[in-house]
Amino acid sequence: MAYLSMGEAHRRISDYLNRFFDAVTSQDGSSLRQLLSVSSDYPHLLSLADALNVFQDANRLIKQADRYSQLGEIIGPLFRCLQNYRTGHLVDAYNAFEKSANAFLQEFRNWESAWAMEAVYVIAYEIRVLAEKADRELASYGKTPEKLKGAGSFLMKVFGALAGKGPKRVGALHVTCQLFKVYFKLGTVHLCRSVIRSIETARIFDFEEFPVRDKVTYMYYTGRLEVFNENFIAADQKLTYALMHCNPQRERNIRMILKYLIPVKLSIGILPQSWLLDKYNLVEYNDVVRALRRGDLRLLRHALQEHEDRFLRSGVYLVLEKLELQVYQRLVKKIYIIQKQRDPSKAHQIKLDVIVKVLKWLEMDMDVDEVECIMAILIHKNLVKGYFAHKSKVAVLSKQDPFPKLNGKPVNS
Amino acid sequence: MMNQGLTTDTVVKQDLNVLEKHQIVDSSGQASASLTPGHSLLPSATGSTAVSWTMHITDNSSSENGPHPNSSYYHNQQTEPLSREVPDGLNAASNAPTSSNLGHANGQQEYAGYSSYTSSTDPFAYGNTGYQQGYYYNYPQQTTHSYSQQGGVYQHSGAPYQPLTSFQNTGPASYTSTYYNAADYQTTGGYPSNEYNNQTNLWNDASYAHYPSHQYSAYTSSDSNGAQSSSTVAATPLHYQQQYKSWADYYSQTDVSCAPGTENISVTSASTLGGAVPGATGGYPFSNGQPPPPGTTSWRPEPSSSELPSLQAGAVTSDAYNAYWKHGTPGFQNHVNPVPSYFQKPLDPNPVPYDSSRDQQKIACPQGSNLQYSGANQVPQNQVPQNYQPPLQTFPSLDTRRVSKLQIPTNPRIASNLGLSLPKTDKDSSTTNAATQPAYISVTMPKSNNTVPSHDAADSMLKPGMFPTSLRAYVERALSRCKEDSQKAACQNIMKEMITNASADGTLFTRDWDIEPLFPLPDVDTVNKDGQSSGAVSSLPRYKRSPSRRTKSRWEPVSEEKSVEKVASVNYVSVKENSWDHSKQRDGVFSSGKCEGIDDGWNNCKFAPVQQQTPSKNVQRPVKKQRLSDNFSNAENGGASSDSDKEQGLTAYYSSAITLANSPEERKKRESRSKRFEKAHGHQAGVKHFRQKAVAAGSLYSRRANVLELSRSYKDVGSRAVEDIDWDSFTVKGTCQEIEKRYLRLTSAPDPTTVRPEEVLEKALQVVLSSQKNYLYKCDQLKSIRQDLTVQRICNELTAKVYETHARLALEAGDLPEYNQCQSQLQSLYAEGIKGCHMEFSAYNLLCVILHSNNNRDLLASMARLSDEARKDEAVKHALAVRAAVTSGNYVLFFRLYKMGPNLSTCLMDLYVEKMRFEAVRCMSRSYRPTLPVGYIAQVLGFTTISATEENEEKDMDGLEECEEWLRAHGACLIKDSSGEMQLDAKASSSSLYMPEPEDAVAHGDTNLAVNDFLTRTL
Repeated sequence: MAYLSMGEAHRRISDYLNRFFDAVTSQDGSSLRQLLSVSSDYPHLLSLADALNVFQDANRLIKQADRYSQLGEIIGPLFRCLQNYRTGHLVDAYNAFEKSANAFLQEFRNWESAWAMEAVYVIAYEIRVLAEKADRELASYGKTPEKLKGAGSFLMKVFGALAGKGPKRVGALHVTCQLFKVYFKLGTVHLCRSVIRSIETARIFDFEEFPVRDKVTYMYYTGRLEVFNENFIAADQKLTYALMHCNPQRERNIRMILKYLIPVKLSIGILPQSWLLDKYNLVEYNDVVRALRRGDLRLLRHALQEHEDRFLRSGVYLVLEKLELQVYQRLVKKIYIIQKQRDPSKAHQIKLDVIVKVLKWLEMDMDVDEVECIMAILIHKNLVKGYFAHKSKVAVLSKQDPFPKLNGKPVNS
Repeated sequence: MMNQGLTTDTVVKQDLNVLEKHQIVDSSGQASASLTPGHSLLPSATGSTAVSWTMHITDNSSSENGPHPNSSYYHNQQTEPLSREVPDGLNAASNAPTSSNLGHANGQQEYAGYSSYTSSTDPFAYGNTGYQQGYYYNYPQQTTHSYSQQGGVYQHSGAPYQPLTSFQNTGPASYTSTYYNAADYQTTGGYPSNEYNNQTNLWNDASYAHYPSHQYSAYTSSDSNGAQSSSTVAATPLHYQQQYKSWADYYSQTDVSCAPGTENISVTSASTLGGAVPGATGGYPFSNGQPPPPGTTSWRPEPSSSELPSLQAGAVTSDAYNAYWKHGTPGFQNHVNPVPSYFQKPLDPNPVPYDSSRDQQKIACPQGSNLQYSGANQVPQNQVPQNYQPPLQTFPSLDTRRVSKLQIPTNPRIASNLGLSLPKTDKDSSTTNAATQPAYISVTMPKSNNTVPSHDAADSMLKPGMFPTSLRAYVERALSRCKEDSQKAACQNIMKEMITNASADGTLFTRDWDIEPLFPLPDVDTVNKDGQSSGAVSSLPRYKRSPSRRTKSRWEPVSEEKSVEKVASVNYVSVKENSWDHSKQRDGVFSSGKCEGIDDGWNNCKFAPVQQQTPSKNVQRPVKKQRLSDNFSNAENGGASSDSDKEQGLTAYYSSAITLANSPEERKKRESRSKRFEKAHGHQAGVKHFRQKAVAAGSLYSRRANVLELSRSYKDVGSRAVEDIDWDSFTVKGTCQEIEKRYLRLTSAPDPTTVRPEEVLEKALQVVLSSQKNYLYKCDQLKSIRQDLTVQRICNELTAKVYETHARLALEAGDLPEYNQCQSQLQSLYAEGIKGCHMEFSAYNLLCVILHSNNNRDLLASMARLSDEARKDEAVKHALAVRAAVTSGNYVLFFRLYKMGPNLSTCLMDLYVEKMRFEAVRCMSRSYRPTLPVGYIAQVLGFTTISATEENEEKDMDGLEECEEWLRAHGACLIKDSSGEMQLDAKASSSSLYMPEPEDAVAHGDTNLAVNDFLTRTL
């Protein structure tokens, strides 16, 4: 680090202070945002951090100027945060930032107009990011990571400050999305429900009024929640909305959406083109899709096992597992088609033995009872039309449309 | 009795008269008057004539009405809009003559109409509003609403005072009280009708409180005249705000929004008042405040009287407090309370206070005689008596022996007042009313004239001897027979009636009380009943009760100081209790049942004993207060003693009180209590400080504040110490050597002699494991082992073993709640790295998640949590396979896994079997055609073993039958085919299947708790 003179440090700090107050007095949200984004690499912030290291008594500077006093509550901790952040004391940085953010929120409540929205956004973002980092640090010490939880409750406060009549309400969705991120990360997804309820039922909110990016994020997260609930129709709607409105340049975001949308679409019988999977690097779904196309139960199970960890973490494992029935359907359909080619008159009667044999080829060791059960389930779930005659161990298929397509509807459960 | 009956009648008449005169032909209004059993309320509302009277009446009625308010209130409510409007119109009419700014200004106000009726009408309005609010349970609205109304009230009250510097004071004061009531209201809002009634009462109270506040304000102003009037004026508003704040804090959930509103209103009202002042000053009937200043000056010099101002000021504030603290009915008492509080102290010196009060009256009377102030005079006079009464009557309840002297005198006075003044007013109102004084609202003026003389008369009559000593002796005799407080209360009630009657018909002094036979001891129960029923039936009984009501309120004072906190706590702690109190209070009888009335429990047990123990109330009471209400009482008392004379004594006993309070036992007791009230303390203290600051006059205040601070800090230190406690040092080391021990949930710190050390616990575990006794016994033993482990903070393999053992036993017995407890404990134990059957239990856990919670996220999480090592474990593998079978609905696989479940997995799966079977049969009935042999079903669904060998054929036959039964129980259609084999008719069954109600379902959801079951199963 280059040597920094005291005077230079002093100059940088007062420069920052001046910019901060100018931003507040001129209600310049975007420049305030820059001044607050602690974790960013804005050069002025980096240099400020250096200056703070040299010039230890920044608080005096803040206090010196009388007009700064009301914002000193924000800036004092913010400086401490910057300093700690740059020196790698993330927990301290987070604590300081939370203090600063609280002070900022206090001020923000008093500002009638929504000019500082960008600053609020950046604070909501920073507090989450800092909390995540702080938690990582805490975990490395073997302490319980709790900062993200704290960030969650702070964001809830921010949400409270925004959720009301007035121009600030458009920011509510952004904070909601940050909250979603926190909750998903913490695994306390159930906490989302209250926020969702207020967003979707409160009359002050008009969903279309929110910024697009927030709408996309919101739809993404709520879609994910619907995936958890195996509510595939709703999940499809939300995720499709997110996909349609997502900025096409943001491939990463599109991939994230597709990661959930593809299993959902699969489970309602819609298979993706293979180029889509390739383009967005969703190769883990390749085998699954292939298994569905071929009716290859072994491939499906293999794919599931191979990517089990990933699927479990993203939460689509159970969804994919349920595709098994569709694979069975495809398999039976294949048998049916082959039988039809041989003898169209007897095609609709599928002997259980045949299916057992087929499964044996697929190295699926299942006895007759089990296969019979599977057939019963297929018929029960309306994936196969027809009936099973127990005495003769034959599945009798309907002559008309024996394998109904799902056509966007989930498998009957 | 006669008298009272008369009075009620007259009141009613008044009402009617008034109504007619004012052309309040509002049918609803009349209806309410005539219809309501509690029309005593109405008088208060409409009885503008008897301003002073209404004061009493409202008090009484409100208290009395408690039981029946329902009808009246509903009535009111319905008519509410109308009635409100009507008053307005009336106002306009009545006020027109006055033509003063004030009148008009008021007229503009919502309740300006009531200004003519002044206080009396206010209650009515309040009752209505209160009712409404309660009715809608609209909290936010309530507050704002009530607020505005109060604002109106404020103006009314304020108007009269304008001439005085005090007016501002009064305004806020009254405001606060009402406001608090509103707050009370809100809190109570949620309750059912009972409380509801209370609330209505409360509203009346609010109006009522209003009155006292005027009076007080007047005093304070006078006081402040000497010291700094401006400061006091400023102080009260501030004080109010403070209170408000505390209130807001308290009911933060209700709405903060009202805060600004309230403040605004108060400000505005003040301003309007100020504007109105010039016009209004002399002429306004309601100018209560006017008399006091002169009065105060005159009597101020007197040592005894000098206390009054400060005390009353204190009282006013306390009013607010009380109202604040006490929801519902207590509000009543509150109003009265302040007065008593003031009086109590003076009383100790005995006659002095009385004199002073009399002096007050005197002073007031002359002024009252002034035509100008006639209206104003009334109020003060009435109030004075009222003030006076409460203390006196309260005393009896508290300490019968001591009290009797003072108490008795007052009663007759009051009674005489009632008897004399009411009829007169009645006459006057009926005859003269509007004509007498054009400038003022017709009703008030005449009344005031009448009342003043009556008061004078009463005064003169009473002055000389108050009550004959023989009467006192009589009362003492009567009370000494009582064994219970309630009985005593009832007796007092009866005696009060006797005395009132005696004084009314003039036999009070002529009767020979020494030979007067003692009345039979009242049966408390019957009396209670009587009171209740009578209340509903007629006005007469009500009236009877009215004194009692007053007593109650009077009696309150004592309680007030001590009880404030109590009540608050009660309120907070349980609404129920509150409601109970209310109902109690409402009982007419209970009026006498002072002890019962307010807060049975504590009054009876705590207070009474204390007084008996020590005749010197002075010392004792403060201590008491200190204990019960801590700071609050201090401040309150402090309010009472601005006088330098008093100061000494007070400080003396405050200090003693504090020392006492800080004695170790006391502190211990208090510590827990103070925790509970911490919040309350904070508020109160805050308020107090504020007031102290505000009332610059009292140097004592600041001193008290210091004391308070001290005591508080002292307490704080204590509590902080608790936090710093090294809990390790409290870990119990058991010494008990008994192996068997029944489980008993700890309700206090564990006693080492009953706790078993680790070695013994280990033996105990072995005993349980080898025991042949049933699960309930083992569960009991294991729980006690667990308890001992917990208490001694033993966290090792033994602990894990105990929990595992218990979890297994619980699984076997199907005791899921207990199992879950153990499982969660085990999870944390395993997480700490304690060895145990980790895999087995993670398999159980997995199964539990799969089978019992339909939560995919939990399932995913617990699956993701499984380590690779765990995945290789047989039990875990099995559990995962079960999961797969369940999610795919593969019943064949499920029951195969069911048959080969390791450890106790089968027990857990048992819990899912029924559901799985049902789903399976549903699936079968849909997919199989035409039939399906029951034998196959039995085999697939785990009723029978798959491979039927010789030895288990019999078992299979049983299983087959069981399956058949099960299928029938679930609505399946079974037919016999040609070979005689039972078949499931799939098509017919597909629509007839159903899940039967579980036979062993228990209402409380836990079969283990079924009494019969439990009894048959215990040891």
